[in-house]
Amino acid sequence: MLLIVIILTFLLLESASGDAVDAYLLSIGGGDAIVAKSLRQSYGLDQSMLARLWLYFTSLAKLDLGWSVAFGRPVLDLILERLPNTLLLMGSATALSFGLGSALGIVAGTKPESIRDRTLSAVSLILYAIPSFWLGLVLSIVFAVQLRWLPTSGIETIASGKVGLARTADIVLHLVLPVGTLALIYMALFIRVMRAGMAEAWQLDFVLFARSKGLSRTRIVLRHVARNALLPLVTMLGLQSAAMIGGSVVIESIFAIPGFGRLAQEAVSGRDAPLLMGIIVVSAVLVICVNLIVDLVYTALDPRVGASENRA
Amino acid sequence: MRWLRNLAGTPEGAIGLGILLLLALIALFAPILSPGDPLRIAGQPLLAPFADPSFPLGTDRLGRDVLAGILHGTRTSLAVGIAAALAAIAIGLCIGLTAGLAGGLVDEALMRVVDAFQIVPSFLLALAFVSVIGASVPVVVVAIALGAWADPARLTRAQVLSIRERDYVASARVIGMHPAEIAFRQILPNALPPVLALSAIIVAAAILTEAALSFLGLGDPNVVTWGSMIAEGRNILRSSPSLSIFPGIALVITVIGVYLFSEGLNKVLAGRRSDA
Amino acid sequence: MTIAHLSRRTLLQAGAALAASTALPTFAHAQAATAGGRLIVAADSEPKNLNPAIVASNGVFFIASKVVEPLAEASFSGKDGLSPRLATSWEGSADGKSVTFKLREGVKWHDGKPFTSADVVFSALKIWKPLQNLGRLVFANLEDVETPDDTTAIFKFSKPTPLQLIRNALPVVSSVVPKHVYEGSDISANPANVKLIGTGPFKFTEYKPGEYYRLTKNADYWNKGEPKLDEVIFRVLPDRAGAGAALEAEEIQLAAFSAVPLTDLSRISKVPGIKVISKGYEALTYQLVIEINHRRKELADVKVRQAIAHAIDKKFVVDTIFLGYAAASTGPVPKNAPEFYDATVPTYAFDVAKANALLDEAGYKKGADGKRFSLKLRPAPYFNETKQFGDYLRQALSAVGIDAQLVNADAAAHQKAVYTDHDFDLAIGPPVFRGDPAISTTILVQSGIPDGVPFSNQGGYANKELDDVIAKAAVTVDTTARTDLYKQFQKLVAADLPLINVAEWGFISVARDNVLNVSNNPRWAVSNWSDTVLKS
Repeated sequence: MLLIVIILTFLLLESASGDAVDAYLLSIGGGDAIVAKSLRQSYGLDQSMLARLWLYFTSLAKLDLGWSVAFGRPVLDLILERLPNTLLLMGSATALSFGLGSALGIVAGTKPESIRDRTLSAVSLILYAIPSFWLGLVLSIVFAVQLRWLPTSGIETIASGKVGLARTADIVLHLVLPVGTLALIYMALFIRVMRAGMAEAWQLDFVLFARSKGLSRTRIVLRHVARNALLPLVTMLGLQSAAMIGGSVVIESIFAIPGFGRLAQEAVSGRDAPLLMGIIVVSAVLVICVNLIVDLVYTALDPRVGASENRA
Repeated sequence: MRWLRNLAGTPEGAIGLGILLLLALIALFAPILSPGDPLRIAGQPLLAPFADPSFPLGTDRLGRDVLAGILHGTRTSLAVGIAAALAAIAIGLCIGLTAGLAGGLVDEALMRVVDAFQIVPSFLLALAFVSVIGASVPVVVVAIALGAWADPARLTRAQVLSIRERDYVASARVIGMHPAEIAFRQILPNALPPVLALSAIIVAAAILTEAALSFLGLGDPNVVTWGSMIAEGRNILRSSPSLSIFPGIALVITVIGVYLFSEGLNKVLAGRRSDA
Repeated sequence: MTIAHLSRRTLLQAGAALAASTALPTFAHAQAATAGGRLIVAADSEPKNLNPAIVASNGVFFIASKVVEPLAEASFSGKDGLSPRLATSWEGSADGKSVTFKLREGVKWHDGKPFTSADVVFSALKIWKPLQNLGRLVFANLEDVETPDDTTAIFKFSKPTPLQLIRNALPVVSSVVPKHVYEGSDISANPANVKLIGTGPFKFTEYKPGEYYRLTKNADYWNKGEPKLDEVIFRVLPDRAGAGAALEAEEIQLAAFSAVPLTDLSRISKVPGIKVISKGYEALTYQLVIEINHRRKELADVKVRQAIAHAIDKKFVVDTIFLGYAAASTGPVPKNAPEFYDATVPTYAFDVAKANALLDEAGYKKGADGKRFSLKLRPAPYFNETKQFGDYLRQALSAVGIDAQLVNADAAAHQKAVYTDHDFDLAIGPPVFRGDPAISTTILVQSGIPDGVPFSNQGGYANKELDDVIAKAAVTVDTTARTDLYKQFQKLVAADLPLINVAEWGFISVARDNVLNVSNNPRWAVSNWSDTVLKS
C-alpha cells in the first residue's frame, strides 16, 4: 500500500514541468545551462526515471529518505525537525476539540430537540462550514493585533533564552491561536457525531433496562450512553487523521509555525521530489499509527467488539 | 417525487433545499443579474460597501465589483463542488462495484489502492496535483476528486458485498441474466442510497477545498472564485475587511445549505429504509 | 525549534517526551539577549545557499551582506557613488585591460586569520568568474589577478573592459570569501556556504531552519566603533500579513523589501512609533516589464506591439497597483539611474483609440465578438504586483480586442515555461536594474542567448543594430562614449519595443522609530548595517 503511494507520488512529480534544479536556480535569480547541468548531475537528476525510482526504494529500505535539493539537507532531518511542531499543534487541537466536543455533544444529546440542543447544533453547523484559513485570519486580527493578548506568529519568542517552565509557558501562549482555530473547526464534527451517537444509544436495550431500574439520569448518561456514543467518535478520529494533517498546511502558513504542513508546501514549490515523497510516506505512516491506536482504544472501550470486525 | 415532499417536510431539508435552490438560481442567472465580466475593472478601487448604490458591496483593490464577484463566484463554487463530487462518486462506484463483484485478487488489489488513497491526506494530494499540473478549473476538479473517491468506493463495495447474497440477485442469476446486467440493474440501484447520502458531504468538502486551494494561489485565474477573493482581501484585511468577509459568508452559507440538505435527505432515506 | 534534538536514535524518546508537555527537556541555549542592542528583522525566505560570492541575489544579500563584504559598497555621497569596504581605491588603465585595487590593511576574517590579496584572487578566479550568476557576465574577460603584495590586486582582462561597468558592479559581484576555508574543497558544497565566514561587522552565529538567523557583533571589525548593534536576528515570516502585525506588536523592529504590503502602508504609517521609508532602494530598481514572444506572427509586427503599449494606462498601474510607490517607465533604464537615463525616447501615451487604429492598420480586424486574436499571458508569481498587473493587462487588452488568457503557475513552472520552453505569448516579469545596463539589462534584448537563462531575451527577438550597440558598449572604455552608446540603446529599445517597460519601483522599509540610520545608502537593505543604531 505504501508502495503504491510512493509510486503514484513519484509519477505525479515526474509530470511536473520544471524540476528541483529549475526551482533552485530560480531562487537564486539566475544561472545558465552549464550550471544547471552540473547541478543535475550531482543530484542524480539526469538519470532515467526507473533508475531514480529504484535508487529511492533501496535507500528507503535503509531508512534513508534521500537528499532534499531545495534545502540541501537530508530529508529525514528536515522532517524530524518539523514534525514535532505539527504533532504538538494537531495533538493539542484534537485533544481540546475531542474533550470539548464530546462534552458539548453530551450536553446536547441528553435533551434532544431542546433549545440547548438546537443551539449547539446550529453553532456546530456554522463552525463546520467556516473555512479554517478565514477563521485563523479573523482570530489573529482580533486577539493578536487589536487586543495584543497573544503573539501573532511563530512557535516561541526567538532566542529568548527561556528554559523550563517559562519556555513551556511561552510556547503555550504562541500556540493558543493556531490550536484554538483548529480546535473550533474540528469540534463541530465531534459535537455532531457525539450527539447523534447519544440519540441512538439512548434507545438501546441495556439503557432502557437501566432506565427502568430507576438509575439516576446522570449515571445513565455518563456510564452507559456516553461510553457507547464515544465509539463512533473514536472511529471518526481515526478517519479524520489524514484530513487533519492536510489541514495543518494553511494554518501553519498563516501563523508561521515551522511545521510539517508548511514543509509540504515548500516541497511542492521547490519541486523537491525526495522531500515530498518523504513527507507523504511519513504522513501515511502517521495515519496508520493513529488508526492502530484508535483500534486499540475502540477495543478497550467496547470489549464486545472484536478488533478485526469493523475495520475494512 | 414523494421523497422530495418528505424532504421539504423536515426542517433541515426545507432550509437546505431553500438555500440550494437560491444558490442554483443565482448561479444560473448570474450573467443577467450582473452582466459583463466580473473580473473587469468597473469603478474606483476600494469603495466601501453600502456607500455607492451601483456597487452595493464595494470594490476591491483594482476596482472590481465585489457583488459581481460573489454572484459569479457562485457558479464556480457550485460547479467545482458538484463536478468533483460527481467524479469522485462515479469513480468510487465503478471501483467499488468491480471490487465487490469480482472478489478474489482483483478485490484485494483494488482495496490496496483504495487504502493508499485513504491514508494520504487529500489536501496534500490536491495541493501537489494542482501545483504540478497547473491551475485551471478541470484540474482542480480532478485534484479534489482524487482525494475524495476512496470513501464512496469502500462504501459501495460494502453495499455490494451484502446485496449480492440477497434473494433477488440469486434469482436473477438463476434465470440467466448477464452479469453486467445484474450489476447495473439489480445491484447498483440498491447500493446507491447510502452513497448518495455521502455525496452531500463530498460536495461541501469539495467547495471548501477549492476555496483553500484558491486561497493558496492555486486556483484558475481566469474565473472568479470566493477563495481567491478572500486571498485578495487578505492583504488589506485590516483596512478593508469586507473584501474577505463577504465571500467568507457566502462560503459558509453554501456549505450550511449543502449540509442541511444532506441531513434532511438522510432522514428521509432512513425513514424510507425502515418502510421498505 | 525542536523540543528535543532529534536524530533517528532519539525518535522514540522524543515521542514519549511529547506526551508529557510539562516535562519538556531543556537544551543549552543562548544567553539572554543584551539589552538595547538587538535588531529583529522580518525575513521572507531562507536561501539554501547563503554565499553572496556565488549567489549574487537580493534574497542572499539581505542576510549575508552583514557577514561577507564586497570590495566597495554603494553610497549616496561617495566618489563614483561608492564607499570603500575591502578595497580602498581602484584605478583603471588607459587601455581598459587592467584595474588596480588597493586593499584595506588590518582586516581579519571572523576566524582570526588575516585578509590578504590572496583571498581576492581566489574569490575572483575561482568563484566570481566561473560560478556566480552575475559574475559570469561582468568578469567574462577576466584572465588573471596579479598580487604584487598583500594589499594590491590587479585585475587583468583579455579585452578592454570599461571601468564604469566594473565600478557599478562592485557592490553586487565582488563579495570576498576566505581562501583558506574554500581552497581544495568542493566550493558549491562547502558548509561555509551556510555558516558564513567573512570580514563583516557581524558574525554568523546561528540558524534555526523555519525560524530565524542570528548574527552577533564582530568585536574585531576593521572599522573601530562599529557595529553599533550587538545582534541582528532575521525572523522568518513568510506570510506578508504577518510582518505588519509583528511590527505593530513590537515583535520585530524592521520590515524591508515591502514585507508589509503596500496596501497596509498608509494605515501603518499613522501608527505611533512606526515610520515608512521609501528611500534606500535606488540601486535596486525593479522593473515591471512585458516580455514578448516574437515568434507569434501577430507580435512580430511592431505596430501590434506599439498598440499594446498604447493600451496601457501607466498612471493607473502606478496609482492603483503600486499605490503611488512606483514611477512610470519610459524605457529599459530607470529614471533613478541618472548616469545613463535618457528621457528623449519615443513614448506611448495611454490612447485606446490609437491602439485600436494601429491594430486595424496591422490587418487584425475585430471579429463579430469584438475579438481580434487570442494570446497566452503568463504573469510571474513572484510579486503580488506582477500578478495584479496581469489581471489589469487582461482588461486593458480586452478593451482593444485582444483576448488574453491568464495562466497561473508557481515559480518553478513559470520559469521553465517562459525561459526554457517558450510557452508564452506575453509574460510579465520583474527584472532588476543593477546600476549599469550591462549587468542585467542588455541581456533582456540581446539575441543569441541560449535557452534556459532566466530574465533574458527568450522571446526570439533579434535586432542587429541593437546587438551591435550592445557589443560595442561592452568594450568601450571611455565613459562618455559608453554612456552615449547606452543612450542610443534606450532609443532603439523604445522605438522597436522588444519588450514593453511599464513601471519601475523600489521597495519600502517600515521600521520602528527607535531604529536609526536606516536607508542611508542606495542599497541599504542589502548593505552591512554597521552604523545602524537602536535608540533605547
